[in-house]
Amino acid sequence: MTETMAPELTGTRAGDSARGGGTPFAVQAGLFFRRKMLESLRQPAWIVMGLTTPLLYLALFTPLLNSLAGSPGFPRGHVLDVFVPGVLVLIAFGAGMGAGWPVIWELDSGVIERLRVTPASRLALLLGTVIRDIVMFLVPGVVVIVVGWVAGFHVHLAGLVVLLVLLSLLTAACSATSSALGLVLKQIGSLAAVVTGVQLPLTLLAGILLPLSLGPTWLRVLGHLNPMYYAVVAARSLAAGTIGTAGVGVGFLVTAAAAALALWWGTRAYHRAMA
Amino acid sequence: MSAPPGPVRDSAVTVSGLRKSFRVKDGTVAAVTGVDLAVAKGEIFGLLGPNGAGKTTTLRILTTLLPADDGEAIVAGADVRREPRLVRKRIGYVGQLGGADANATGRENLLLAGRLYGLSASGARRRATELLTVFDLAALADRAVRTYSGGQKRRLEVALGIMHEPRVLFLDEPTTGLDPQNRANLWDQLRQLRANGATIVITTHYLDEADQLCDRVAIVDHGAVIALGTPEELKRRYSSNAITLTPEAPAADLASLARELVEELAAESLATAADGAAVTNGTIRLAVTDTTRAMAAACALLAARGIEVADVSVARPTLDDVFLNETGKTLRDTGAAA
Repeated sequence: MTETMAPELTGTRAGDSARGGGTPFAVQAGLFFRRKMLESLRQPAWIVMGLTTPLLYLALFTPLLNSLAGSPGFPRGHVLDVFVPGVLVLIAFGAGMGAGWPVIWELDSGVIERLRVTPASRLALLLGTVIRDIVMFLVPGVVVIVVGWVAGFHVHLAGLVVLLVLLSLLTAACSATSSALGLVLKQIGSLAAVVTGVQLPLTLLAGILLPLSLGPTWLRVLGHLNPMYYAVVAARSLAAGTIGTAGVGVGFLVTAAAAALALWWGTRAYHRAMA
Repeated sequence: MSAPPGPVRDSAVTVSGLRKSFRVKDGTVAAVTGVDLAVAKGEIFGLLGPNGAGKTTTLRILTTLLPADDGEAIVAGADVRREPRLVRKRIGYVGQLGGADANATGRENLLLAGRLYGLSASGARRRATELLTVFDLAALADRAVRTYSGGQKRRLEVALGIMHEPRVLFLDEPTTGLDPQNRANLWDQLRQLRANGATIVITTHYLDEADQLCDRVAIVDHGAVIALGTPEELKRRYSSNAITLTPEAPAADLASLARELVEELAAESLATAADGAAVTNGTIRLAVTDTTRAMAAACALLAARGIEVADVSVARPTLDDVFLNETGKTLRDTGAAA
């Protein structure tokens, strides 16, 4: 075997400064996206659950909410008009927050260490996962919209398109945060504690499942401290087809700022990552 | 080809005054306390030392994974601190953890690495196929790495490290956990890479690996280089005189017996150091001034105690003697303890 190596291992050096590592940033991000997307597609159980869980929410939660229709939190006709945007936010949150688990495995197995020694951009490395998570939000998201539409959800196309853009930003913020947490905490147990710990207050205080307007004043005040609250307010407005409102503007500003901050944090965490 | 200690201008790696401490719960631990060395182009250079000696930390600093607290390191012509990206383009790294993506296939792993280093899609495909053949992985190329054996995974990881034909290849304990055959194969492949012009820096705690594979060796302990040279030089410098004694029936306490022998030989000016004794696998090894006289004297001492001697010989010098001379302990002991 080794006898044949001499002629085969010679050749031009790609590692030289002239050419090596000159891969454009977008290509790098695309390569990392492809890697993570393949990883997801090879786990069919994960994809099936990603699709069925939101549909179960629609199927099992909507009957409960029907009795609330007409109360102060439900100004419009169909409960799905309030509930579908909430479920979409949940899908975005869930698609993003799962990013940290494989990161810990990649730390332990040396994958991240090896990639850190290549000239690849750390932001591209992070974005590969972020973009995969956005896809993993968009696919079940569209399924939920279609199923909801069949069940009575009023579709406002332009608003929904803007809504999916907004929630893609939210997915990015959650995904980058989860990756950063994984890189910093380094242990599955710690990551699980933090993610499940923030999940309840963040989702409850955003009024995802039930509008916060149903609650007392103190609850609504707390909600305003939660960055996700603004995304949910904007999401309800967009789902109703009203795009040019202050709520939508604030929702975009807050979510984009959160995403930018999370991407910065995640990139920094990759710069320092050590098993 | 045994490379001579290279002048700095021909260096693939130049390190001076390297220091690194880590904060731990109660204070700081100094992992690297002042490493100076120069690795010549085209040599296989070994960092030999027990676990925790600072080998991995040194390698992580040289591969830009970890910032040094102090000191200079020039790797493949670029400054590790100021030009980390340039360093990354020119080096390859095979870490202790390996780092192959278990969910991807061997070929996918190689293609990603190649593209990240700037190879074109077709260039990366060609190179991946070539390496898969060279490392005897062609039949497994399109299987998930999860299904590879330890030796197969290790070969893939070395292939990942040289996908872009780096000028300097760093390997952190590359043969740990490999069976003898895979180990010998890897040595052959590293020698082949050197023949093609690459410089190779490896860490190891195996004496035979440092001895047989490396052109030059730096022995590292407590974060500093305690000896540096070709294996032959080091062995000649430190361990020309040693004898080994193997008692017929293992005595109750060989360590205390060894100590007594040293004391009594030292009284006759035959033993060199008060702590120059080591016991491994039922054999006592003594550093002495005159092998012939010491052998006779030691046999007489054992006979006086009624201990039959199964074997006595002049010890072939090993790198462990160097370590023993410098640190007062054997590399095997420290390596096994960690």
